[in-house]
Amino acid sequence: MSDQFNLPSLEVENYELENGLRVVLNRDMAVPVVAVAVYYDVGSRNEREGRTGFAHLFEHMMFQGSENVPKAGHFQFIMKAGGTMNGTTSSERTNYFETLPANQLPLGLWLESDRMRSLAVTQENLDNQREAVKEEKRLRYDNQPYGQIFDLINEMIFRNFANAHSTIGSMEDLDDASVGDVQQFFRTYYAPNNAVLAISGAFERDEAKKLVEFYFGDIASQPLPSGLDVAEPSEVANTYREWEDKLAPFPAFLIGWKIPARRSKEFYALYLAGKLLYDGDSSRLYQKLVKGEESVIQLFGFTDERRGPSSIFVGAIPKPERDLSKIRETIMSEIRSIATEGPTPDEMQKLQNQLINDAVRTRQSAMSRAQQLAEFMLYDGDPNLINTELEELLAITPDQIRAAASEFLDTANRALLDVVPAGKG
Amino acid sequence: MPGVSRAPEPLAPIPFSIPQPFQKTLENGLRLVIFESDRLPLVSFRLAFLSGDAGDPEGLTGLTSAVASMLTEGTQNYSSRELAEKIERLGAHLSAHASDDFFIVSASALSIYSDDILDLIGEIVFRPIFPENELDLYKRNTIENLKFQRSQPNFLAGEQVARKLYGTHPYSIASPTAENIEALSRDALASHHAETLIPNNAVFVIVGDVDAAGVTKRIEDEFGGWQKGAVPMSAKVIPPQRDSIGLTIVDRPGSAQSNIVLANPAVERVNPDYFPLIVMNQLLGAGASSRVFMNLREEKGYTYGAYTRLDLKRSGGGFEATAEVRTQVTGDSLKEFFYELNRIREEKVSEQELDDAKNFLTGVFPIRAETQEGLTNLIVNQQLYGLPEDYLQSYRSNVEAISAEQVQEAARRYIHPDSIAIVIVGDGEEVLAQAKDYAANVEIFDTDGNPKDAAGFSQGAAEPPAAVNGKWDLTIDFQGQEIPASLSLEQSDGDLSGSIETALGAGEISSGRIRGKRVSATAATEIQGQEIELTISGEVNGDAMDGTITGTMLPGPMTFSGKRGI
Repeated sequence: MSDQFNLPSLEVENYELENGLRVVLNRDMAVPVVAVAVYYDVGSRNEREGRTGFAHLFEHMMFQGSENVPKAGHFQFIMKAGGTMNGTTSSERTNYFETLPANQLPLGLWLESDRMRSLAVTQENLDNQREAVKEEKRLRYDNQPYGQIFDLINEMIFRNFANAHSTIGSMEDLDDASVGDVQQFFRTYYAPNNAVLAISGAFERDEAKKLVEFYFGDIASQPLPSGLDVAEPSEVANTYREWEDKLAPFPAFLIGWKIPARRSKEFYALYLAGKLLYDGDSSRLYQKLVKGEESVIQLFGFTDERRGPSSIFVGAIPKPERDLSKIRETIMSEIRSIATEGPTPDEMQKLQNQLINDAVRTRQSAMSRAQQLAEFMLYDGDPNLINTELEELLAITPDQIRAAASEFLDTANRALLDVVPAGKG
Repeated sequence: MPGVSRAPEPLAPIPFSIPQPFQKTLENGLRLVIFESDRLPLVSFRLAFLSGDAGDPEGLTGLTSAVASMLTEGTQNYSSRELAEKIERLGAHLSAHASDDFFIVSASALSIYSDDILDLIGEIVFRPIFPENELDLYKRNTIENLKFQRSQPNFLAGEQVARKLYGTHPYSIASPTAENIEALSRDALASHHAETLIPNNAVFVIVGDVDAAGVTKRIEDEFGGWQKGAVPMSAKVIPPQRDSIGLTIVDRPGSAQSNIVLANPAVERVNPDYFPLIVMNQLLGAGASSRVFMNLREEKGYTYGAYTRLDLKRSGGGFEATAEVRTQVTGDSLKEFFYELNRIREEKVSEQELDDAKNFLTGVFPIRAETQEGLTNLIVNQQLYGLPEDYLQSYRSNVEAISAEQVQEAARRYIHPDSIAIVIVGDGEEVLAQAKDYAANVEIFDTDGNPKDAAGFSQGAAEPPAAVNGKWDLTIDFQGQEIPASLSLEQSDGDLSGSIETALGAGEISSGRIRGKRVSATAATEIQGQEIELTISGEVNGDAMDGTITGTMLPGPMTFSGKRGI
């Protein structure tokens, strides 16, 4: 089917301001909506020991006001214009984005430039955001059943500190942070030459360029941060751990593997192997475990895509009284079957159609286009990958999937985390 | 480089136009609505029926939803697994679900597969066989889910709200019981399927890169022979009449939070007051810059979020104000809710607030219509509710036309603070003490939905307050560590004042009360430079007191035991 299919090409232009800010424009007049995404090249991987949690703390600080935008004003401005917004932090980057009615593009650029230029890094903001982060940690990690298992398994998979520690970070480290530390972090990482600005949607190109220059052009660049080493040995740090979870109502387990970096042939092949295992009602493990044995309540899996060594996970919450080791045997035997026989022709057809479908669907919203463009610009220096990556994925052969599953998944070099409910009662 | 000091003016607005779709009604009554768009090579289908969960036969609540889930679990030609494989091999999506009013089969695919997916829609709609083993798995998993949802305070609140808003109408039933689900049989599913999935009660919406003439021809061929049936009647809601405020408590002992809902009947979705209503609701509480949120969260800090919402269905609807608050501020939150509900009725809103609310609604409209799925959902709603032909085209100008007078009129007509139902899920004893003064009558339920005896319940509160004056030496269990503290209490009838001192910090009691043997108090303390609000709740027996302390920044409740000193 892929032979007859031509992915509609997106109009992409990129250029750099004198201060080093990389700008990507994608004009699409279909709907009068515009999306602005700013990606800073800083994530938890940039944090050193004793200074964890900074990248994420900063995401909070960025909503605390700047020279011309009052505290919490960012959100109010966007809401009142009929827009939507957010920010997120991962190991790789910190991003901020808003979708607005197209004629509000200046508002989006003003808000993003004002905080890039003049974030209010004050003792008061630092103190209350530190507490907000602690509250978030309690709410989303400590106080949620299974809330800590992904942070735990990362520590089991990775040996390099840059990769292994969590995004939420250590509360002691955050307590130790002084305003001076935080100001330094801001100067280093939130500089225009360490960021990408992507704009997608309905705008006139010349007007957009003028606005970008007007709002961002005079923000000073900074010396770039020094290089980063995320290299890893291929062995996982720890193959087994039992974790007592006070809030978990049922036992559960999570298996994680260390795999090559995003955009490598092996990563693509393993991403596809993962889809065959756990993605959708026709996937191998859904048919074996949710149907078939009827042994699990919930089955999940995903790949964690990084510029350096990455990972893939499969996990399950079994039904009460089920034998966990038997479920794991089923999972490993399906992996072995992919590693020896490879995917079937029907499965390859499914993958190809799903890849095309995903690629087309991503093009529908200005925000998802802006995010992809910013990511390709930041990680690969090539936003046009939004038009060409699909071909690379479609070119992966059944034998590449088989070989990658054999080398990276069908192995004892994996981390197994057993979650044991430890609540009262 | 100071930047630009004021928010910039917007550019000239770009009009957003949605063209009129192609429409045709087949001889068997099936209505086709086709919206051609070659923007991307995608297509979305919705085969939607105007009968939903509210049409479940008596004693068989859950039947319509079961039919929906089971449509993709086996047909005359394919097993459940074969269907999943056929759908996913196209990279497509196909499923069915039921809501109160509607039953919708949804599909989306690359447009090159539009014929294949149409065939599959025909297969699941015309030839499902509801296999015994799949029905069995569905029943067991659904019963597990029913148990699980009783642990969720939102569900428990919604269950009571539905009852208060809809009286004897089927909308009043929020969820089937395990017995209802056990009672489902293959035969019941098959005959309900035959009776309700009929062409003369359906609309087929198709949006995307298709040729309207071609797809019409194909649907005529595949769906033209489908036999008409008798259209089920839907009963109009007759809202229960109330002339005073009622309080319904769902007692969930040990809750750290109260889930509060204030609800009164409003109107059905198709109503001339719709636009004044949504502007009023946006201004009052729909968003995170609305009045209710700004008051209860931003100013008072009672909650993470506080909102109002309109639940407007085909045959009736409701207005609701909701928040999850710390138990300690349950009564205070009610006070603020009533303040806001009365204020919007009594005072004309400012032009600035009105503009902000309207700008949000008109601005976000094209964002909602940006993806094909988003646009399709808007069109499906327009069709199912029978909204005007130009509804989507005129939505934004209709919003813009609303005046401050119309907002006030809508508030007066559809918000009834004098007869509203208060539903609170939380620690019954504490909720009752704080909320009973707001209501003329009280009913109490357990988490299984069974009534509890309200008279026996409030005994604790009616008991004379224990004598607690004095200095108490407490031992707090802080993550296995014993921390000493001292609590000084001064009592005036049911009210308490005083202070708490711990090794970590000290503070004054800002609000405290004693009901029977139960002591509750909050104290703003400073611990290591951080302001932390401690909530103390305990039970007194003579000179002994046991209970828990929670703090805004502290992990979990800490237990304590204490003795009265000399």
